[in-house]
Amino acid sequence: MNIEIKHLARMEGHANLVVDAANGELKECRLEIVESPRFFEVMLKGRHYSDVAPIAARICGVCSVSHTLASLAATENALGVRVSEQTLGLRRLLSYGENLQSHLLHLYFMAVPDYLGVPSILPLAKTRRELVARALRLKKLGNDLVQVIGGRPVHPVTPRVGGFSVLPAAAALKELRRHLVTALGDLEETVALFASFRVPELERDTEYLCLAADAGYPSVGERIISSDGVNAPVHDFAQVVREYFQPHSTAKFARASRDTLMVGPLARYRNAAAQLSPMARKVAAALSLDPSTRNPYQGNLARLTEVVHFFEEAIHLIDSLLLKGLRPESIWVPPGGGAGAGAVEAPRGTLFHAYAYDEQGRITSANCIIPTAQNLGNIEADLRALVPGLLHLPQPEITARLEMLIRAYDPCISCSTHLVKVEYL
Amino acid sequence: MNRILTDPAGRLPLEEPRWRRLSRAEIEQFVRALQSAFEVVGVQEQGRRLTLARLEDPAALILEFAPQLHSPKKFLFPNWEKLFRFRLGGGVLLEPERAATPRVIFGMHPCDLHAVQVLDNCLFEGEADSAYRAKREVTILIGVDCVPDGHCFCTSMGTDRVAEGFDLFLHRLDGGSYLVQTGSRRGEALLCHYAPLVGARPGEPPLPLQVKQCPTRLDLPLESLAPLLEKVYEHPVWEEVGARCLGCGACTMLCPTCYCFNVEDRLDLNLAGGERVRTWDSCQFDQFTKVADGPEFRGNQGDRQRHRFFRKYKYLWDKYQRTACVGCGRCSRECLSRIEPVPLLNRLFAEQARPAPSLSPGAEYRPQLAEILYVAQLTETEKLFRLRLPQPIEFQPGEFLEISVFGLGEAPFTIASAPVAGAEVDVVVRAAGTLTQAMHRLKPGDTVGVRGPFGNGFPLEQFAGRDVLLVAGGMGLITLRSLLLGILARRERFGRVLLLYGARSVGHYLFRDELLAWHRGGELDCRFAAGQGENPWTVTRGDITHLFKDLDVVAERTSAAVSGPARMYRSLNPLLFRLGIAEDRLFLNLERHMKCGLGKCGKCRINDICVCESGPIFPYARVKHLKEAIER
Amino acid sequence: MKPRVGFFDFTCCEGCQLTILNLEEEFLELLELVEIVEFREILQAPAAALDIAFVEGSIAGPEEAARLRRIRERSRTLVALGACADNAGVNALSHFRAPEELGESAFGRVVEGIEERLPRPLECFVAVDARVPGCPIDGREFLGLLQALLVGRAPELPAYAVCVECKLGEYPCTFEQGTVCLGPVTRAGCNALCIAGGDRCRGCRGLVDNPRSQPYRQILEQHGLTVEDILAEFRIFNLPPEKS
Repeated sequence: MNIEIKHLARMEGHANLVVDAANGELKECRLEIVESPRFFEVMLKGRHYSDVAPIAARICGVCSVSHTLASLAATENALGVRVSEQTLGLRRLLSYGENLQSHLLHLYFMAVPDYLGVPSILPLAKTRRELVARALRLKKLGNDLVQVIGGRPVHPVTPRVGGFSVLPAAAALKELRRHLVTALGDLEETVALFASFRVPELERDTEYLCLAADAGYPSVGERIISSDGVNAPVHDFAQVVREYFQPHSTAKFARASRDTLMVGPLARYRNAAAQLSPMARKVAAALSLDPSTRNPYQGNLARLTEVVHFFEEAIHLIDSLLLKGLRPESIWVPPGGGAGAGAVEAPRGTLFHAYAYDEQGRITSANCIIPTAQNLGNIEADLRALVPGLLHLPQPEITARLEMLIRAYDPCISCSTHLVKVEYL
Repeated sequence: MNRILTDPAGRLPLEEPRWRRLSRAEIEQFVRALQSAFEVVGVQEQGRRLTLARLEDPAALILEFAPQLHSPKKFLFPNWEKLFRFRLGGGVLLEPERAATPRVIFGMHPCDLHAVQVLDNCLFEGEADSAYRAKREVTILIGVDCVPDGHCFCTSMGTDRVAEGFDLFLHRLDGGSYLVQTGSRRGEALLCHYAPLVGARPGEPPLPLQVKQCPTRLDLPLESLAPLLEKVYEHPVWEEVGARCLGCGACTMLCPTCYCFNVEDRLDLNLAGGERVRTWDSCQFDQFTKVADGPEFRGNQGDRQRHRFFRKYKYLWDKYQRTACVGCGRCSRECLSRIEPVPLLNRLFAEQARPAPSLSPGAEYRPQLAEILYVAQLTETEKLFRLRLPQPIEFQPGEFLEISVFGLGEAPFTIASAPVAGAEVDVVVRAAGTLTQAMHRLKPGDTVGVRGPFGNGFPLEQFAGRDVLLVAGGMGLITLRSLLLGILARRERFGRVLLLYGARSVGHYLFRDELLAWHRGGELDCRFAAGQGENPWTVTRGDITHLFKDLDVVAERTSAAVSGPARMYRSLNPLLFRLGIAEDRLFLNLERHMKCGLGKCGKCRINDICVCESGPIFPYARVKHLKEAIER
Repeated sequence: MKPRVGFFDFTCCEGCQLTILNLEEEFLELLELVEIVEFREILQAPAAALDIAFVEGSIAGPEEAARLRRIRERSRTLVALGACADNAGVNALSHFRAPEELGESAFGRVVEGIEERLPRPLECFVAVDARVPGCPIDGREFLGLLQALLVGRAPELPAYAVCVECKLGEYPCTFEQGTVCLGPVTRAGCNALCIAGGDRCRGCRGLVDNPRSQPYRQILEQHGLTVEDILAEFRIFNLPPEKS
């Protein structure tokens, strides 16, 4: 049997899946990255620190907020810039917005068709218009959050080194809060929908990594933890998460304490379920999600649980920001250079940026480790674990299961090609 | 609707403006009361800037603000305005008529109040713009005073204070309270209705006019801007400005009187219908004058800037004696290339300025002495004088000198000689009064006093390349002789030249020798008429209109210059238009008693135009609306 | 029959397609107007002939060029979606790096002929019928262009510069704070969003048709920028013609 899917659909970026099995034995199983490299680390070189985040955001349209936040944190740590509680709060809110937008896009536009047996969400616009309308309403809220705070849903403009160039209007935040509360009904229906789906089974042990839940459920942070006992400052991420090349593959992989590593909603849920908001805990229970789960297909359930968490947290965060009142801040960037790293929990997992700056504040080196790069090894290991048990099924069925597994990670190829190795010669 | 707004006479000024005192707290109460019936817009802080916007909290209203603020144009002539809805597939479309929002603009500087009057002039002219009118009628304007900054030049434009065109005006007093001045009947009604305590308060004496200081000042009087620009159409300064201009259009976007717009269709997403909207456009943009698949008529940025200056300082002046610039300084304040009107106009003025006026007081009225070189008797009553001026002058045909005999006075005389630079000029004097009779007694070697030249003559350049029809009645030939000599000096630059001349009798003809020489010379076609007397030349009998029978001119390529008494124009103009002469190709000599030549004495005014400054030569299109010009 | 529309992406961040998916309020109505038959990010099953192909991303290397040509062959109208497709967008920056450096960064070694594989605008490979500029695109502008194509009207982009929209928004000019801005030469249509957000214009929508480079350069020089600074500013989103 030979399966080769070019340009896997319903995911961000271009990847091919190649599976080669004969006589019940798996010979080859790999995820090929076919996007061209984009040279961001080189392109950034020599740019002034104020240009770095806007350029780095362009690594990925889907998680441009996360790239912006990780980039700003890395620059601030490198240059010794302190940011205020207000800035941290607004950045968290931004991050919630992006996670909501990305998660809901994935759940409704990419995952739901698998469970409902349709090629895409588009035919549902006729047959289940209410479902599509609900998906759009919910997704819009995530975008609205980023719009109000960041100035634009994709590639935000207001975040800058040290804080924000423009603060959101209190009235706009109040309006957002009202909408978030009104949408809870839509969330309930979404939970009911996903609770009705049968999630395929697969059990495989791996290392689960995310930022530490020092200030609540992982979001922006300064420490890395993992289920294998990692506990290190973000500054040392390069010693924790090491990139390597697989001889059979063309992409750059990453691992921590063992061969494979998982980041993203399921990893965060496993490591920090206790920090979830009350509503989110209720939803996890309704979805029969357990912090000891080892089934990667349950990534979507963790994703939905996080959606509820981010909703509730966003409401609380807006309340506390409004209570204190938003104040314009003066931003001071000390002269001189330095090196530093920053990390943020992006929708797909932990995202690291690390920079060095010269005395003029111009960047001399840049490095990014992307969630999907960390997950690639795990996806392939899952596929290898899954395929032997599926070989009795008809080929389209196998293909569907494999694609569903890959999608459960919501891989973002656009991101990962900022530095992947593509062999074409 | 609000009865105060529906009163048809509401916008008329009060017979006697009233002034009453009120406090800041009372202003806020007034605003709050107004908010029940109006949308109140006022200056407030938004983010870290001031802006004029809908006011929610009266306490946020700022009444003392710097001139940087964007203009209130956006409320009277918004950038985006729906004209109507349409449906693509035909069918009935029901659209409720939407009334404009009753609105109070609470706080406008005097320059912006003047700007509204400019918009009124432009948008009510001809077919009044209904969308603008709808807003204008239900918008209450409340003025506040200001302190000019370095870019303001309102004091040069006469817009630093305002006497009408507002409903109420708030003057801040030392100590923080205000005097409110009512400027219209509806302003008074508004105050009495929404601030009854203030309305019932006894009146106070008006404030003395405030003196404002603008560091940026025009070196020339407002009235001289249009004539100045007239002379500098081809000046290299426009190309210079064009080379510096980014073409960003910020100047026109910010200008409180620029209103040029584009009209486009915005479709609904379902493509079943849509709306036609108008948005601001700018003469500085690429494609502003572009015709589909055709040329760009004003593609050069220098031409575009010139057009902007002409629209601001000349074209509207020619029509309404009002500049379209109110000196608010916004265009120069935000121009990255520092294209600033005042230094530019001052520079042009300095270059064009006549021999520098002496600094001693009264010198502008003091003549210099000119020597009489030659005297010739033209007719029984008219003599030609050739003068040698103390210094050479340049002039266009039609300009005049003030000539005086000390003890007897001074009078204007059109220069009759060819428009070439030099110190020798001809004037023709008819012995009619004591001054002219005295002049007739003068001989070569005697001196007279002269001032000038003054006024605006024929734009000789605009005649080049065209056929020229000259029509002179009686002494009107004096002016046309200068023009004709100018044409003959460069004969090859003009098409066919036709001179029609009429006078009471052949004996009254001026320049008879020259007329004969021209007639015989073949360089121009001369036709003469005389109503009475002997007829040694066998000219056409009757008045000059008889020369129009079977007149063979090609109207499209003909420019006409007409000089004679006003009654002649009344009978001639219809004939000229019947021939097909275009209104802007017909130039009339509207000489009046130009006593001072300086635009001051008022004797030569035709309605609101000052002949000695804007004329005496005018294109017909510019004076046709003036009742005093031709009709009497 | 509804016009058949496809969305494609090449070397880019997919932010423009995402912006279209972010048109939540208009999305269902959009589906009434056209039939989306290809959109890999949300849809399986490629189709044949297309009325309109929206292509996001720059073209890097012969494989992408070949895929683009196949799309062009089966599409009546081809639209460049976003800065990367229109003028190489942020990818333009890679054209100003030493080839060795690029190879080392992406492949860990020097790669022969890497210049030929650097991302380029669609126009370098196929005819482009219309374009939606910006990084990312403006969703409403995309809808306007789609409407124009559907009713057979020539799509038009604003011919004026970002300054106009900046003035309409009453934002303070960044030059007043000593911050250099590409607004005076960059095509409007974004409502000066970045300046509203307290940033400056970095030129993602490309130059206006007739940029007044000379006066603009003078202004930048008055603000103390060197030619190198000016070029570095331009290159964030604009591939100069000589490189494409």
